[in-house]
Amino acid sequence: MENPRTPLPTEALSHLDALYNLARWLVRDPVEAEDLVQETYLRAVRSAHQFQPGTNLRAWLFQILRNTFFTQYKQKRRGPETLDPEVLDRLPHTSGTVGVDNRMAGPLDGTAGLDLTAALNRLPEEYRSVVLLADLEDFSMGEIAAILECPVGTVKSRLFRARGILRQLLRDYAQ
Amino acid sequence: MDCSEAREHLCDLNRGRLEADAAEAVRAHLTQCADCAALLQVEVRVRALIRAQAPRYTAPPALKARVQDLLAESAPPKESVIHGAAAGTHGAAAGTHGAAAGTRRTAGPPRWRDWLRGHSWTAGGLAGAVALLLVVWAGWLWLPRDPVSLLADGAVAEHVEYVKATMTRPAADPLAVMREVRDRVGFAFEPIFPGDSQVALVAGMVTDLRGRRAATFVYRDGSGRYTTLFLMPEAGIVIPDEGRMPIETFKPYHRVTSGRELLLWKQRNLACLLVSDLDQAGTASMFLKVRKSA
Repeated sequence: MENPRTPLPTEALSHLDALYNLARWLVRDPVEAEDLVQETYLRAVRSAHQFQPGTNLRAWLFQILRNTFFTQYKQKRRGPETLDPEVLDRLPHTSGTVGVDNRMAGPLDGTAGLDLTAALNRLPEEYRSVVLLADLEDFSMGEIAAILECPVGTVKSRLFRARGILRQLLRDYAQ
Repeated sequence: MDCSEAREHLCDLNRGRLEADAAEAVRAHLTQCADCAALLQVEVRVRALIRAQAPRYTAPPALKARVQDLLAESAPPKESVIHGAAAGTHGAAAGTHGAAAGTRRTAGPPRWRDWLRGHSWTAGGLAGAVALLLVVWAGWLWLPRDPVSLLADGAVAEHVEYVKATMTRPAADPLAVMREVRDRVGFAFEPIFPGDSQVALVAGMVTDLRGRRAATFVYRDGSGRYTTLFLMPEAGIVIPDEGRMPIETFKPYHRVTSGRELLLWKQRNLACLLVSDLDQAGTASMFLKVRKSA
């Protein structure tokens, strides 16, 4: 066991709800989400000596959660119901999935929370995480890039495309 | 600024996170480009919708208690938390932080230094004594606090409670017990050992073991000796490499806690914990029945 006496900053507990929220969106099952969060804190405690005091503890915890999810849950969770991120990532940045036409000017208001949940769950995990981290947790693009361990440009383009996909999906649900 | 560059900045513009110059440049582009202006509207509306309507899930209290425990275990020894056996009855025992935290006690080097200062020892002897004391102190402080020890303490305390509660209970219908526990526990498990001519299944329940949800089954043999089996999701449970006991081809972790035999192993994504009033050979025999049933 490495350096068991390095404690995590007490602030760590204050991020529990946010971590659990993302965990629920990732694994979708309450019990598995609990396990994922507990494993996240366990790993954080074990790696506490690697955390640099004064740096972003919140982003560090989210990064551990996402890595834990990636290694433990992702393979069995990737279902055929989500869109394929490989295909989405290859689409041109400035056109394609979003498209601008008259329908885009339509109202975006009649969607129930349930429909929004379904639409978010249709997004591949790489896209859903970006949306949730940006919109619910207010992480900056740079922080999200660090959490997801990918370039900032990738985060921006995923968020951009996710907007378009959600817009499309929500309109489909509303019809 | 072209469309590609402008679109990359829409999210930051909407969140007010763009430098003034860049924001100005994007806005200038938007006045000239209806497509990008429409995309900004999508950005604004979708973000607002998600923030307003996306469900936010809150961590259950039991999870919070477990995380608090984890963090307390990682706290420095100066203000450390010493865990006693988990008292209380099943269900409520480890669900709250207060019950799990145990007795708080302050212990630290200053106290030892004050005590040593009052003795006229040689420097070498003093250093040796301090080192010895620290080793003893660290062992006393850390050994009872590792997660497996906490689990073992909790399991034995729960086991004792079950023995009291099921003394007069007749053998249960194994299938009904399994079905009931499976419906309530929130995770899947294979059919368990249903009992045989020597051992009867007397109870099954869903319990909280140090904050972990466990499918729990109590067995009683013909001499009135009890064995309790806990099944839990394995996440977060690390079984030590030392202290393994070879039983046929298996090597479960073995220890004796408060006079009870205890075996811990992993099986099909579950951590399985057996606490028994039986002796080591009897517990090993029970282990084989349980291990081979799943």
